[in-house]
Amino acid sequence: MKNYTFNGLIGAVLITVLLAVAILGLFWTPYDPMKLSFTARLAAPSAEHWLGTDEFGRDVLSRIIVGARASVWIGALTVSLAAIAGTLIGLISGYARGWVDAVIMAINNALLAFPGILLALGLLAVFGANQYGIIFALGIAYTPSMARVVRGAVLSLREREFIEASKIMGNSEVFTMLRHILPNCLAPITVLSTSMFGWAILSESALSFLGLGVPPPAPTWGNMLAAGRPFIEQAVWLGLFPGLCIALTLLGINLLGDALRDKLDPRMRGLK
Amino acid sequence: MTQERLLSVRDLSLVVAQRGVEVVKKVSFDIEPGEIFGIVGESGSGKSLATRAIISLLPAAIKVTGGQVTFKGRDVLSMSEAGLRELRGAEIGLVFQEPMTSLNPSMTIGRQLEEGLTLHTNMPAPTRRERILAMLQRVGIRDPEGALSAYPHEFSGGMRQRIMLASVMLLKPALLIADEPTTALDAVIQRDVMELMVELTKAEGTAVLLISHDLPMVARYTSRIVVMEKGSLVEQGTTEQILEKPQHPYTRKLLSSLPIRGEVRTIDTVSAPMVSARNIVVDYPGRKSLFKKGTPKRALHGVSVDIHAGEVVALVGGSGSGKTTLGRTIAGLVNQSSGDILFQGRERSADWRNYRLNCQMVFQDPYSSLDPRMTILSLVEEALRLVPDIDRAAKKKRAYETLEEVGLGTEYALRYPHELSGGQRQRVAIARAIARRPKFLIADEPVSALDVTVRAQVLALFSDLQKRYGFSCLFISHDLGVVEQVADRVIVMQDGRIIEQGDRNTIFDKPKEPYTRRLLSAIPALDLTETGGVKLKWRLEA
Repeated sequence: MKNYTFNGLIGAVLITVLLAVAILGLFWTPYDPMKLSFTARLAAPSAEHWLGTDEFGRDVLSRIIVGARASVWIGALTVSLAAIAGTLIGLISGYARGWVDAVIMAINNALLAFPGILLALGLLAVFGANQYGIIFALGIAYTPSMARVVRGAVLSLREREFIEASKIMGNSEVFTMLRHILPNCLAPITVLSTSMFGWAILSESALSFLGLGVPPPAPTWGNMLAAGRPFIEQAVWLGLFPGLCIALTLLGINLLGDALRDKLDPRMRGLK
Repeated sequence: MTQERLLSVRDLSLVVAQRGVEVVKKVSFDIEPGEIFGIVGESGSGKSLATRAIISLLPAAIKVTGGQVTFKGRDVLSMSEAGLRELRGAEIGLVFQEPMTSLNPSMTIGRQLEEGLTLHTNMPAPTRRERILAMLQRVGIRDPEGALSAYPHEFSGGMRQRIMLASVMLLKPALLIADEPTTALDAVIQRDVMELMVELTKAEGTAVLLISHDLPMVARYTSRIVVMEKGSLVEQGTTEQILEKPQHPYTRKLLSSLPIRGEVRTIDTVSAPMVSARNIVVDYPGRKSLFKKGTPKRALHGVSVDIHAGEVVALVGGSGSGKTTLGRTIAGLVNQSSGDILFQGRERSADWRNYRLNCQMVFQDPYSSLDPRMTILSLVEEALRLVPDIDRAAKKKRAYETLEEVGLGTEYALRYPHELSGGQRQRVAIARAIARRPKFLIADEPVSALDVTVRAQVLALFSDLQKRYGFSCLFISHDLGVVEQVADRVIVMQDGRIIEQGDRNTIFDKPKEPYTRRLLSAIPALDLTETGGVKLKWRLEA
């Protein structure tokens, strides 16, 4: 059990660093991330440019710092959107059952049948390719999986006797749902949310890669990764560092998510 | 070992390997060929682990640290895996508590029964089939031919346990280990299965090692008993000695925990009843198939019950009798298809709020009836949330008082359900139900999931509270022993109908219906002896 807290600590450190960097990017970067410099194109990492420069001579470190903000922002908002919408739909569907459930789940399954990225592409065509377009598109694309997981949890929970006990006490259905069902769904919601955060960052990269992400020259880790691809043989740092940032962020989120799930569950208390 | 002893266990000790906790401490006993031998103990006494060690089927975390197990002169603990396979099934058969999990759900009964025969004998296929059919016939399966190609889920719990028994007895083992073989079954079926087991093993000369927490049940069928507590063997002797002249305090405690008949109380049955259910019919929708609407299954066929102020009415019957459905209908968890439920003379639906405030329920399973994410205090406080006219502080105070009343001090208030034992959880469930001071309580098998001694404590608590607050109670149970202790009046149900009702003593002493007599034949009447023990008297069925 000691491992758990240790992992949680690593996760917390990684995420704190990420947030600090994202905030830092609002005020200060080593260089102007947009400034072109034709004298220093594709420079290798050096004392001057710690992480090197890209094909336009822009400082990679500065762009990563600024890009962190976009990535975190997109990840957090996407996950919040999917988690809230999905939980709500799942709760209603699982609790109401009957035809309400049948209709909701039919639509949900139809959406699930599309690959998430394809759905997001379609939605982006509607919302337009910018930061908020991406957030909406990905949020909607992820909602069905969240709804499905929550519905499953609700279905098994509502058969438990403490739900009946709540009914016997005269509690309203809404109260029962919020007081007894929702808190007991938190574990799967947390786990799925942390994975979704990772998917969101990756999908944003993929969409940027396809040219449908945050439009250049604004940096995100995804479009940096995409832009670095043609130069992978001359300048490996262009793709390496944004990729490393994405990987570390995902690692941090997952470790922290697991630790949070255990922390939030009273049953894990005292099991040291 | 010179004498013809079947099984001999000497100084067997087991520990949980990781933590070094000793779970079985120097346990010794012997079993003679053909005898029925009992091990009695509550959960955590190590009785199951000790018997698993006999066939080297211990969980990975448990290690043998000392002792010897000798079966027919062979040392079992040092046997190779291949030797053990020869032993298991062929010479030592096993029947477990839960027949749903010990039969493979995706294999037909025929193939499962055949497995043992192919493995341990070289009988030709037609002979195997013959033997299986004969055995199924003997254990009372109505259509043995059909059963061969049926799957376990097509049978009821009792039938599955019979099939399990058939599969074990096919190989004519010298020893049958039965670990809580009937605990999951209701009282009547429990007795049928036990009788069958005794009859079969007697015919084959098989010895039985019967493990259970149910002392009267074990006593009924065994000649010798050992009693285990917390991993130690505290007393052993002939069944008679143990029952009538118990030496160890724990054995005495077990015996004194057996339910005894409560006093006769006078109940005002002239005034209008507190709760009155009239002609209740409940239909459950049938299983729907793809193109067919299911035919509804009728669970209750017009049942009427009156419960007076301060009266404890017991609803008894086997599984499928409709007793739980009736309780849940009166609680408002199931909707009746027709019929009326009156509370204090008024239609229940006229004032649901009042009914909810005054009607509470205690569920069977204290592991599932408490929200795992709430503290004990907030669980009890929640019951007071909708009670009008008392403020927050008073509610908190009342919650603490109620916890105190059920024997849980302030130190429990901020704990979570998983940190409590089963008995303590059931106390919380009772506290939650009585915190509102309801006028009517429905208790659905409130003590069935508890150990013997804990059950006695919870029942005593229940009776105390009932006397103090005088609530009416509908007490649903398949265990007539418990009913004899708490009920004023008894209603016997079968197949969704009430077949007999009357005050407790009449039902227990002069039952009219054969089904009631069958129910009663499953429990003993107790006579206390001067030596601190009991004499069990079994009622005759006819």
